[in-house]
Amino acid sequence: MKQNGILRGRPTYLLVIALLTAAVLLSLAAAVTLGSVDISIGEVYRVILFKTFGLGDPAVYGTGAVSDIVWFVRLPRLVLAVGVGMCLSLAGVVMQAIVRNPLADPYVLGVSSGASLGASLAILTGVGTGLLGANAPGVLAFIGAFAVSVAVVALANLGGRANAVKLLLAGTALSSVCAAFSNFLLYLSASANAAQTLMRWTMGSLAGAEWPTNIPILVISLLGLLFFWSQFRTLNLMLLGDDTALTLGVDLHRRRLAYLLVASLLVGCAVYTAGLIGFVGLVIPHIVRILFGSDHKKIVPISALLGAIFLLWADVLCRVLIPGAELPIGVLTAMIGAPCFIWLMIRRKYGFGGGD
Amino acid sequence: MEIRTDDLHAMLGGTEILHGIDFTAGDRSLVGVIGPNGSGKSTLLKCIYRVLKPSEGAVFVDGQPLSEYRVRDSAKKIAVLAQHNFYNFEFTVQDVVLMGRAPHKRALERDSAADFKIVHEAMERVGVASLRDRLFSTLSGGEQQRVLLARALAQQTPCLILDEPTNHLDIKYQLELLDLVRSLDRTVIAAIHDLNIAAMYCDTIFVMQSGHIVAAGAPRDVLTRSLIRSVYEVDADVFTDSDGLLRVLFYPQSLV
Repeated sequence: MKQNGILRGRPTYLLVIALLTAAVLLSLAAAVTLGSVDISIGEVYRVILFKTFGLGDPAVYGTGAVSDIVWFVRLPRLVLAVGVGMCLSLAGVVMQAIVRNPLADPYVLGVSSGASLGASLAILTGVGTGLLGANAPGVLAFIGAFAVSVAVVALANLGGRANAVKLLLAGTALSSVCAAFSNFLLYLSASANAAQTLMRWTMGSLAGAEWPTNIPILVISLLGLLFFWSQFRTLNLMLLGDDTALTLGVDLHRRRLAYLLVASLLVGCAVYTAGLIGFVGLVIPHIVRILFGSDHKKIVPISALLGAIFLLWADVLCRVLIPGAELPIGVLTAMIGAPCFIWLMIRRKYGFGGGD
Repeated sequence: MEIRTDDLHAMLGGTEILHGIDFTAGDRSLVGVIGPNGSGKSTLLKCIYRVLKPSEGAVFVDGQPLSEYRVRDSAKKIAVLAQHNFYNFEFTVQDVVLMGRAPHKRALERDSAADFKIVHEAMERVGVASLRDRLFSTLSGGEQQRVLLARALAQQTPCLILDEPTNHLDIKYQLELLDLVRSLDRTVIAAIHDLNIAAMYCDTIFVMQSGHIVAAGAPRDVLTRSLIRSVYEVDADVFTDSDGLLRVLFYPQSLV
């Protein structure tokens, strides 16, 4: 009998986590030297050394074009890519467990439609722009994403306790409603400019990265990782279904709602800073399941780290692929992710991990 | 440990399925629940293992109402082996059996050496230790059912409920399972389809019909020609064979 999935051994996964953590840091260090502007590796690191530890000549490394490009353009984007990649992969893993469907992604329960509606309101009708200025689309998208999650939970709980199927149905229904209203706003809007802004937003971009938002996102994504990692036992039981979990001492009902809200928070943060980036939260957890099986003790941390690395390099590709222009990251992740996904579907029996 | 129900009523989809069930399983006894399809066997067991909430009446575990137990605590008292569905996941046999330790673990507690020892013993007991690193989904139906029994054993509960786990299994596995369960020295409550198996293994049998208990007692007292006629609507011969076992033989409808 062929043992499906490589790297299933127990100690191996800790080693993999250590290696992936190192890979995230190395990727950051390598990617920061790449970009459309030619800056030498030495200069890049001298700027970072100065900014973080105050070492070096302030006149050369504290101000000026080189310093700004490294410290205010390149590095924030990379750090944001790490945070958003972790948020989306974690949310993907958790959503797949919640709805017991390996096809689920972070947006499956209508979160993306809610976020789009929020962004549409801000961009097309100017709601909130007086108060929030340029942040309005992000903030409203966050609110939209979170509000839809809460509404999905409430709807799924009508007439008896929510279960995976009712959540999916409620998510699909609310998704349609939000999409309809977004399209309605788009149809009414006379401004071609606003429509284009909205389109760009739905394609996702890390260009808006800046330190004041980066740090909270990074902290939230790390807290999310620790939280879901600590819940591995319950996440595993979720795959067995409500009845079995109950006989093993866990009432999934409340856990599911709690996880859903935490996952929506992670997705909301990603949407707020980067718009809609598809496929990361679907393909990354999937690849990890194929390699490591279904045990969430392994796949929660590994997915998060792999998602971070993937999005970081995807963003680098976006910046360098077309000289003088920037590809929207959502477009790139879909271009890479969709063929990967089709390949996975053709290659394997559809399941929660390896095995055919 | 003793499990008792007091005037238990239960609804499914707006219809009352159980109409006041008084049921008792004494300490370390093997209690069979028999009856035709739709008589409420599984519904009764589901109330006992908490998947279904009774609409009236209550289940008592060691004299205390089940609803007063936390879910985690009742999972330390009662383990369940049910008809299991296809699982769409990739856990190894050991991972699956290890889940039986879940009710004993606090939120952030890791699996200890003691847990792995219990898991190993449970796997040995049901003869799946050699399958430890195999993927659960690649096992045969009989092997999967034994792994799930190992998981129930790893739960280390004083009571085990068998909710028709053997229905689709070969007779060999059915006998193996019941032999093993009998040797456990625990309170066992089992829904059983096969009257011969019920007669061979049970200390006590409860007979259900249309959501009522119509007879209860030792197999020899309960399984009579007239009872089988009235409950199952078939004709049968009940006799003791040369080994002293109670046997039920059915006649084809055309002969009657």
